[in-house]
Amino acid sequence: MQWLFEPPSIRDMAPGTKVLVYAILTFWTAFVLFPIYWVLITSFKSAIDVNSGPVYLPFVDFQPSLHAWKELFVFDFWDTLSAYMNSLIIALSATAASVIIGSMASYALARFEYQPRFGVVFMFVLVMIGAFFTVGRYGVDWRLSCAAGVAVFYFLARALGRHFKARLSNGDILFWMISQRILAPIVVVVPIYMMFQQVSLLDTHIAIILTYTVINLPIVIWLMYDFFKSIPIDLEECAQLDGATRFRVFLDIVLPLSRSGLAATTLLVMILSWNEYLLALFLSTSRAQTMPILVAAMNAGERGILWWSMSVVIIVMIIPVVILAIILQRYISKGLLLGAVKG
Amino acid sequence: MTVVLDAVSKSFGNVKVLHDLSLDVQDGEFLVLLGASGSGKSTALRMIAGLETVSGGRISISGRDVTDELPKNRDVAMVFQSYALYPHKTVAENIGYPLKIRRMSRTDIETQVREVAAQVRIGELLERYPRELSGGQRQRVALARAMVRRPSVFLMDEPLSNLDAKLRGHMRAELKHMQHELGITTIYVTHDQIEAMTLAHRVALLEGGRLQQLAAPKTIYEDPENLFVAQFIGSPPMNVAHGRLDAGTFVIGQDRVATGGTETVSNAVIGLRAEDCQVVAPEDGAIRAQLFANELIGDHTLVTAKIGDDMVSIKAPKEFEAGFDEAIGIAFETDKLYLFNRDTGARIRRS
Repeated sequence: MQWLFEPPSIRDMAPGTKVLVYAILTFWTAFVLFPIYWVLITSFKSAIDVNSGPVYLPFVDFQPSLHAWKELFVFDFWDTLSAYMNSLIIALSATAASVIIGSMASYALARFEYQPRFGVVFMFVLVMIGAFFTVGRYGVDWRLSCAAGVAVFYFLARALGRHFKARLSNGDILFWMISQRILAPIVVVVPIYMMFQQVSLLDTHIAIILTYTVINLPIVIWLMYDFFKSIPIDLEECAQLDGATRFRVFLDIVLPLSRSGLAATTLLVMILSWNEYLLALFLSTSRAQTMPILVAAMNAGERGILWWSMSVVIIVMIIPVVILAIILQRYISKGLLLGAVKG
Repeated sequence: MTVVLDAVSKSFGNVKVLHDLSLDVQDGEFLVLLGASGSGKSTALRMIAGLETVSGGRISISGRDVTDELPKNRDVAMVFQSYALYPHKTVAENIGYPLKIRRMSRTDIETQVREVAAQVRIGELLERYPRELSGGQRQRVALARAMVRRPSVFLMDEPLSNLDAKLRGHMRAELKHMQHELGITTIYVTHDQIEAMTLAHRVALLEGGRLQQLAAPKTIYEDPENLFVAQFIGSPPMNVAHGRLDAGTFVIGQDRVATGGTETVSNAVIGLRAEDCQVVAPEDGAIRAQLFANELIGDHTLVTAKIGDDMVSIKAPKEFEAGFDEAIGIAFETDKLYLFNRDTGARIRRS
């Protein structure tokens, strides 16, 4: 790897420079870590310490107390635990689902050429709108309506499909994927709410997991697409000739070689699902409530904003993400493809 | 095992890259597909491997029609130009991968990997990763991986082109020896005519997606089917000079060369191998020429001369000396010359 700018090792520097570099690094570390420090000490502050202006050092500026921790983990233990478990189950399931499905979809887009006819795709959208309309307007059972819609589409496509000449390409599909992410979630949150209401899945894990999986799919597909594209096709062809099926090639060759991309994508999707607020607000009321909802509830009470309780929740919320980042960061390395092909 | 291509063609969109290629590769044969880039040779190989679909015609391996089979069901192994080693697997895992897929037991895989690794002399590299190997070593690993499961057919796509010149010569000899020892039918793609001539039992020369000639190296050198083959094979390539053929006499400038035969072709080409010509005094030669340059190669001097507008090369003894622009004569035996129709490129055979 050629670097444009090769930084000298800190050990080789002159003593004066060394001190300066360490000073800058120390300052920057403190700067970056300060918000976390602030949250940590706030969680031990009493209401008076918070409201009477900034105090920085525990035992010096103020007397730390465990009252906020006690409140959440002793008095409200079951509520906190329930929200925490909900968040963990939802974020982990949604992350796993979107990474697994998304990477497979992305690989297909990177390696197979799709040419769906534009007219057929358009027909499908029309038929589905029609099916939805019959449900809303005439109260037809949604299962019946969907099945009928699929059947109508199938026969229409068989009969008329080949008359449409214009075709879409992989690029169009890819752009359609990301366009789903460009759309602001607030636009779709009401339809999503109504859909889950129809099938009586509101306030369940499955509803939120499904929603998170779907909104994260475009991100996974877009990020993994470039990783899959960068794998030399020779390797995959060679594995096929060695006797592997397409799926085996994907598992044995493609996934191991794109593991740094997978790790980074997993982390990103996990963080997005873990922190998601808006959709969770609509889709959960009590049983499926997640941590971000719990945090938000703390500044809405009659007691004013409970900074200390919020800090406690934020600290426990950071932990799983940090653990995941530590686990995954060793996979995020460069030069995985070194030695594969000469060129 | 035999490989038979029956009028195989390939089009990408409206571009036809391969025109009705028919080949009949014998069991144990080393067949080289030779051609410049864009001649369709790699496409042909990839179609045999199953990596490219067939636009027309049939392909069969060992008597079985595999035209619509997946690559994994064709029982062929391929060595890629880029070697295509799996970078996340060790050398042993790379070589053992085809066996692992065939659900062979761990101990069997290990014995076979060791055996084949010893055969290509990389026994001590088994625990290394591809990034820790030199070009030549990677080449051997790729070869071992292809050999380990004893395929019906070896396919090789310019396997030596990434090696430096010295190593290439060495690997060439090893490859030839190994193919002879294993007796596995091999189809080998290259653009390098020396590689083709030295390795092949038979050479298939392709140009513009069409088979130009399929013959043993000696035949293809001594009895080229057309002008393209004559000019592609040989180093330096066959000399050509333009003129016209007038009832058995080739007329070039003021010189007339009796060729035998009776054809009359207004736009003809005379072909001569560099080693079949001698440089003589202008009045003794069959064709007069003007010396352009002479280069001492070592065991001979390569003389470049001009006949009209055509440049020709002649191998002269290393003692040969002459000045620039000096008039010379070129002498040759009549049965060593070749005649071609310049318009069609076809060989004009003298009866």
